[in-house]
Amino acid sequence: MIRDLTLVPTSVGADATFEEAARLLRENRLASVAVVDAAGKVVGLFTDEELLLGISPRYLDDLRHTAFLETELPSLRERAAEVRHEPVRKHMRKPVTVQQDASPVHAAERFVHTDEAAIAVVDGSGRFCGMLERTELAHAMLRRLTAPPPDQS
Amino acid sequence: MAVLAVAVFVAALAAIALEWTHRTKVALLGAAVVVVAGVLEEHAAIEAVDWSTLGLLVGMMIIVGLTERTGVFTYIALRVAQLSGGRPMRLVFLLALVTGVMSAFLDNLTAILLVVPITLLLADLLRVSPIPLVLVEVLASNIGGTATLIGDPPNIMIGSARPELSFLDFIVNLAPVSFFTLLTVTAGLALAFRKQLVVAPERTGEVARLDPAADMRGAPYVKRSLAVLLGTIVGFFLHAPLHLEPAVVALAGATVMLLVAADDVENALERVEWSTIFFFIGLFVMVGGLEERGVIDRVAEGFASVTGGSRTLEALVILWGAAVGSAVVDNIPFTAAMIPVVDSLQGDGFDDATWWALALGACFGGNATIIAAAANVAASGVLERSGKPISFLRFLAVGVPATAASLVIATVYLMIFQL
Repeated sequence: MIRDLTLVPTSVGADATFEEAARLLRENRLASVAVVDAAGKVVGLFTDEELLLGISPRYLDDLRHTAFLETELPSLRERAAEVRHEPVRKHMRKPVTVQQDASPVHAAERFVHTDEAAIAVVDGSGRFCGMLERTELAHAMLRRLTAPPPDQS
Repeated sequence: MAVLAVAVFVAALAAIALEWTHRTKVALLGAAVVVVAGVLEEHAAIEAVDWSTLGLLVGMMIIVGLTERTGVFTYIALRVAQLSGGRPMRLVFLLALVTGVMSAFLDNLTAILLVVPITLLLADLLRVSPIPLVLVEVLASNIGGTATLIGDPPNIMIGSARPELSFLDFIVNLAPVSFFTLLTVTAGLALAFRKQLVVAPERTGEVARLDPAADMRGAPYVKRSLAVLLGTIVGFFLHAPLHLEPAVVALAGATVMLLVAADDVENALERVEWSTIFFFIGLFVMVGGLEERGVIDRVAEGFASVTGGSRTLEALVILWGAAVGSAVVDNIPFTAAMIPVVDSLQGDGFDDATWWALALGACFGGNATIIAAAANVAASGVLERSGKPISFLRFLAVGVPATAASLVIATVYLMIFQL
């Protein structure tokens, strides 16, 4: 069961600022935090990708190639100043969640098909229980690999 | 049944113009109603689809999509931009030229989706507003697309519907007028925007510091992709003497591209914009319903009675009518419906001037409003995501005068050289 694994309890409110969410990622060395509403329900994820997009030029996503760029863009400082106070809900992505009583295989399938570094674990009513990191799941499944085989007798 | 066919088509046009939902859903719903209600039999619906148009679109999407990922188009756009030396007026003309030429030989949408983000970055480096530059590019893409058979969806449809008109015929009859229109419209815009496009002297060197070839260096299949693209374009020039339809040339080119420059065919085929293909299928079926029930012939008869059989009047009404229709709705459905009307008007005869009038009207009309052509919609989407949205009215303020000027040039051209 997912609930038996170590979950990271960090989340951020949907009205928190971009800067607050970014600080949470940096201070806790996380790749992703859950964004929750007033009732504690997960409404999105804020990952280091949102952080990168937030402090890069807004047209970054539309550029197909960028290796030609070798100089600093003058607008980056303005962009950072602009984005700091914006609410995190403007920058979050759709949440990827699993129920806390789901199997590790289901969580593994979610990681494989979404490419997230961490996904939100929720209870039956969608409330946040904690973030499950991909490395934590991998280590938990690895423990099975290295555990002695069950007694055949 | 004729009433139902008209009602479905008009409702679909209204839904597309008002953006009620995605245009592909609208076209497919219209086609489904037409077939389920019995306006058009199943086999007739399949016959109504112009598979040549779809073949040409799919083939070019694969070829251009796979070449695009090599960074070669980025290289071309940046090299051309660097010729400006950071001087904004030169940059306006060079960006218009590169967008126009890319639109003529690739397609409008690819050209715009490639050039606009690069322009946002150039504007960022030069510290000028990107909006005037992007407006110039949108207009240039629709005007440039007019120049060839493969440049713009209306031309692809016309070329597929009338095999008498070869790739070379399109170039000979449409490229010179398109080039002249491109220069005139760009000059007008450059004049109108000159005060907004002032670059500080210390920033003019920024564009020269870019390394255009950087993206191509690590990319696989650069030479092969470019060779197939150029080979396909040469194939288009030769399709008439070779007795091959342009769709065959495009699909053969795409096949060679898949063989020599694509490791993963599934991934390569993702370059096909299926929503566009299904949009066309839905449209062709709806227009097939209009033809089957005699609506197209009646429209053509009404049209002939208005123009009194005058060839000049007929061509000019088609030119201006197609432009207005394309501006209000979208130039693709409008052209799809107009092709059988023009066919019916000509009866057993063939007059290429009328077809050039339709092509010029539909393509130039695509510049009037922000919804008139797919490239406009795409450019406004990129601008909006970049935090610099352009309103419907601001586009209109530039698009309508530019379209009017283009149509005046087209009118003079048709009267002097074609009628």
